[in-house]
Amino acid sequence: MARVRGRLAQLGQGWGGLGLWWLLLAALALYPYTGVTHLTLFLGSQVFVLVTLASNWNLIGGMTGYVDFGHAVFFGIGAYVMGILVTKSPLLVSPEWGFLQALPVSGAAAAIFALLIGLPTLRLKGPYFSIAMLGTFVAMREIVRVLRPLTGGGVGLNLPPVLNRLGDYYLMLVLMGLVVSIMWWIRRSEFGQSLIAIREDEIGAEMRGINTTLHKILAFMIAAFFTGVVGGFWAWQNTFIDPDVVFIETRTVEMVMMSMLGGLGTVWGPPLGAVVIYVLQTVVWGRLFGIHLLALGILMVLLVLFLPEGILGTSGRGGGTSIVRLWGRIRKRSDP
Amino acid sequence: MGPYPETVRSVTDGSRPLLEGRGLTKRFGGLTAVNRVDFAVQPGEIVGLIGPNGSGKTTLFDCLSRLERIDGGRVLFKGTDITRASPHRVARMGLSRTFQVIRVYRKMKVLDNMLVSRRWSGDSYLRVMRSSSAEMVRRARELLEFLRIAPLADEPAGHLSGGQRRLLEIGMALMPDPDILLLDEATSGVNPTLIETIKDHIRTLNGQGKAFLLIEHNINFIADLCTRVYALNHGETMAEGTPREIMENDAVIDAYFGA
Repeated sequence: MARVRGRLAQLGQGWGGLGLWWLLLAALALYPYTGVTHLTLFLGSQVFVLVTLASNWNLIGGMTGYVDFGHAVFFGIGAYVMGILVTKSPLLVSPEWGFLQALPVSGAAAAIFALLIGLPTLRLKGPYFSIAMLGTFVAMREIVRVLRPLTGGGVGLNLPPVLNRLGDYYLMLVLMGLVVSIMWWIRRSEFGQSLIAIREDEIGAEMRGINTTLHKILAFMIAAFFTGVVGGFWAWQNTFIDPDVVFIETRTVEMVMMSMLGGLGTVWGPPLGAVVIYVLQTVVWGRLFGIHLLALGILMVLLVLFLPEGILGTSGRGGGTSIVRLWGRIRKRSDP
Repeated sequence: MGPYPETVRSVTDGSRPLLEGRGLTKRFGGLTAVNRVDFAVQPGEIVGLIGPNGSGKTTLFDCLSRLERIDGGRVLFKGTDITRASPHRVARMGLSRTFQVIRVYRKMKVLDNMLVSRRWSGDSYLRVMRSSSAEMVRRARELLEFLRIAPLADEPAGHLSGGQRRLLEIGMALMPDPDILLLDEATSGVNPTLIETIKDHIRTLNGQGKAFLLIEHNINFIADLCTRVYALNHGETMAEGTPREIMENDAVIDAYFGA
């Protein structure tokens, strides 16, 4: 059994894991041809959004160990850059294609902001970084509210409604496939190994020749870039943005939870966690209307207490993934 | 990560020290932990650093490896002033160290601990986007073999015993093929047999031209290995000389055993 688990872990980090991922992507690409409804396509793109966000957050929060409690700020910046460009810029070719033009700009704006804010905040350790990012997030919401001529203030912005569910589905599928593949790549690379070394012992890493500042900033910018792109996409799909729907704390909390549930620092954990949370949200919490936030909170507490490593997280005694160990403990407990 | 500027060649003759501190001073608030310390390590030398607890040995190490900001004086490494250099740059120039409180990456495999401690200079920035080269893996395995912890290569470093972690730390320090190693209490918490092993390793590596600066409480270890010893007390150099001279020095005996 232990050997099987070891093989699985190897497969996940090896080319086999990436191969399976691309097979899954291919299957998802064919899915719309099975005669699905627009609603299913819409929900599909929503799941892809969650997977992409969780994967991104994991790069800075899971691999590098900088727990970012304000990561949704990059989502918000991406969304607003998209909103402002689409409604106010004369440079875009057409509503339909201008959106694609604006998408990389959304990401770039978020990445540049990550550079500017990361230089001071990434010097902070542990909870101080988390709080500083939370502050950044809240401050940005207020800034957006105040900059009325540009952002529309509290009234928000209305984007041209161009309904293309199939296009949205494929765009998010490609983005998700790309982001998770990049995470797989990073995890294998010396860059990714260095990020994990920084998480495990930042001073040790710096003293052994790793340029920790550069590594942290790069990881932060990559995570911010794709979060910004997703934010831009979301604004386009939602056709309406205001400070309160874009800069919403739950979005960061979701990213953290999905990554933790799946397994911090692993490649496949956060995508899995995102799917699990999505299913819980629709199937279970749909029936707990009004108290779903309570359910979310309880799940988070249980997660930290019983499954701190997440479903796919390994380490600690005995090897194997932590969910397998938890199951073993429960069985032992229930033995007479 | 990327190439660093070639170190400026000093114009002094070939006998210049490899690592040199001039008037080094470090204060923590009102406490002067290191006070105007002068010292030098020549290429290929093994130098000891002794002193009672709190005498400033580790602080001196931290200044030399640039972990701590230096409040006064200068540090020269290979003739280059590194008083204000960042720690990773100093490491890339060929200075490795271990720590009194062991620093290994606990959740990473032993082999990965070694690989990520490789020499980072001289490659293009894009190199780090690939996984470790076969040559690095070979070097890491050889070093683990040399330190006799090769069977543990695939274990997480957090599973290792204290002594094994000391050896791993030495391995990580050796990985970049440094010119000088600063070992901070490499024998503490290590069983006597393993201490002999470490001693052999230091002799072998010294034979290959590597210089060492050792902080030790184990006087026999110092006496067996070092050509010169500095004794610190209250952050100041109390004595300097051969191990025998130091052990017969009244001030040193006083500091260690006196009232």
